[in-house]
Amino acid sequence: MAEKKSIVKEFTKGIVKENPVLRLVLGTCPTLAVTTSMESAIGMGLAASAVLVCSNIVISAMRKIIPQKVRIPAYIVIIAGFVSIVQMLVKAFLPQIDEMLGVYLPLIVVNCIILGRAEAYAGKNPVLLSAVDGLGMGIGFTCALLLMSGIRELLGAGTLYGFQVLPETIPPMTIFILAPGGFFVFGILIALANALAERSGKSKAQLKGCSACPMAATCSLTGSENACKEEEK
Amino acid sequence: MKKFSAKEIIKPTVSLFLTAAVVTLLLAVTNSVTAPKIEELQIKTINETKSKVLPGADSFSDELTVSYNGAEYSYYEGYKNSQTAGYIFTTVSKGYGGDITVMVGVDASGSVEGIDFITISETAGLGMKADTDDFKSRYKGKSGVINVVKNSPGENDIQALTGATITSNAVTQAVNTALELYGEVSR
Amino acid sequence: MKFLAILLTGILTNNYILAKFLGICPFLGVSKKLNTAAGMSAAVIFVMVLATAVTYPINVLLVKNDMAYLQTIVFILIIAALVQLVEIILKKYLVSLYNALGIYLPLITTNCAVLGVVLLNIDEGYNFVQSIVSSLGAGLGFMVAMVMFAGVRERLEGCNIPKSLEGLPITLISASLVSMSFLGFTGLVEGMFG
Repeated sequence: MAEKKSIVKEFTKGIVKENPVLRLVLGTCPTLAVTTSMESAIGMGLAASAVLVCSNIVISAMRKIIPQKVRIPAYIVIIAGFVSIVQMLVKAFLPQIDEMLGVYLPLIVVNCIILGRAEAYAGKNPVLLSAVDGLGMGIGFTCALLLMSGIRELLGAGTLYGFQVLPETIPPMTIFILAPGGFFVFGILIALANALAERSGKSKAQLKGCSACPMAATCSLTGSENACKEEEK
Repeated sequence: MKKFSAKEIIKPTVSLFLTAAVVTLLLAVTNSVTAPKIEELQIKTINETKSKVLPGADSFSDELTVSYNGAEYSYYEGYKNSQTAGYIFTTVSKGYGGDITVMVGVDASGSVEGIDFITISETAGLGMKADTDDFKSRYKGKSGVINVVKNSPGENDIQALTGATITSNAVTQAVNTALELYGEVSR
Repeated sequence: MKFLAILLTGILTNNYILAKFLGICPFLGVSKKLNTAAGMSAAVIFVMVLATAVTYPINVLLVKNDMAYLQTIVFILIIAALVQLVEIILKKYLVSLYNALGIYLPLITTNCAVLGVVLLNIDEGYNFVQSIVSSLGAGLGFMVAMVMFAGVRERLEGCNIPKSLEGLPITLISASLVSMSFLGFTGLVEGMFG
């Protein structure tokens, strides 16, 4: 029973409490770049989730074989492998998604959510829990992308998932699907998430400098001259 | 001590190498499955686009090349009842978000029959609106040199997309190149 | 002329941070102080140009042997190894440079702007020199955005900000305004060289 409960908890934490985008502020690049339409957001969300679940499973299964010293390069190899596989599959079966995501599809490799989960969770926990953790985080990531793209598409193009929602007589505010709109909507969403979190007594989302960075362990910044720590203050 | 440090180096190296080897193998397998599929898909898209931009033709020639202004362009000839019904040119121009590759169908009398995009990655909601039937159909029937205007388009003018003048200019430039190529080929 | 166009496109119209959203993490994380922003950008420029110079011939080899599908995995490993190597070399032989840039190097491995520029150069079909120029432009664009934004944030420091916007939200909204100012460059390069 206790086991079951913790699985549910591991699953749901990624969606709300530890939402990777809105609470942990990870994976900001794709969040801003592909949320110009809901279609590309869902494509990115699913592709990244697939990679996340697969890499979490494999890394967790291999956690006792991979030597501590080379674990980061090994994680990168595994993640890059899955990203390339997903990339090829998408190219072969969903070419319109490939066209929409462009260079952001291979760039899933450097999405900090994935390496971050590998380092923070999958490298230390059993396979089933890691899979569930990856799935929850993936869904949380996808939900955040959908929320943001929904707002941007509705305001910036007057459509939702490509369907006209606002009457054509209202000219859409195109700025929302341009770069500035991305930063703006993201800022407002984080502010909202912060306000909600504060009401329930949780801490604010903030860039945690090094603690959120998957490279923290190998990073020489963790010495006494810590630039990240400086930034935090 | 020495032996110990050698082991320290060898074990991580070997395991990292093995990981990389397995991953590469998996990739090669996936590639062998998907590569033919991707190629097939590309050919299919090109064939579909060909009949879309030159609906008057029922068969097409193999890929031909024409050199014009020092560059090589590939094109197809379209036939209807084994008579030349028109030509299809593939031209490239620089848009706001990168290269725009346009396939232009020109009928036997030298006016545009239809256009479609092979690659386009303009801003969603602005330049991307070029990839709508509404905009693409604006080119139908035009010939000679096409100009882009902001409003009240005349005989051979294209009304620019709102907020996407660069994209409109780029597409028009690609179509104009195709029309020049027509002049070269039909001569 | 073409080189200048590529360079200016990278810096102004297609700025990696403000228009392509690549390298957002350091943009938000390391831009609070002017000197850290400048140090980070210098390291990024260095690694970008070096990574492009190394990956270009390797990509030619990959394509020749029909192994283009290995691009992603090969490039990320090259970048990771390169960063380590540069760090070791600087530490040993160029201590002053290491003191200035060294601490930022490990952060760059997972900086999507570096992998992004390498992949985009291939997409654009640039030759070797054009690729290098494009990387330089991308890096300089990164620097311009970082340094400008650090200036904006230093101004923000003493301001009275609505409570709910404190911290990250106001940073993002300022970024939005900076990025809007860069929209003004739209069409500039095409206008100059088109």
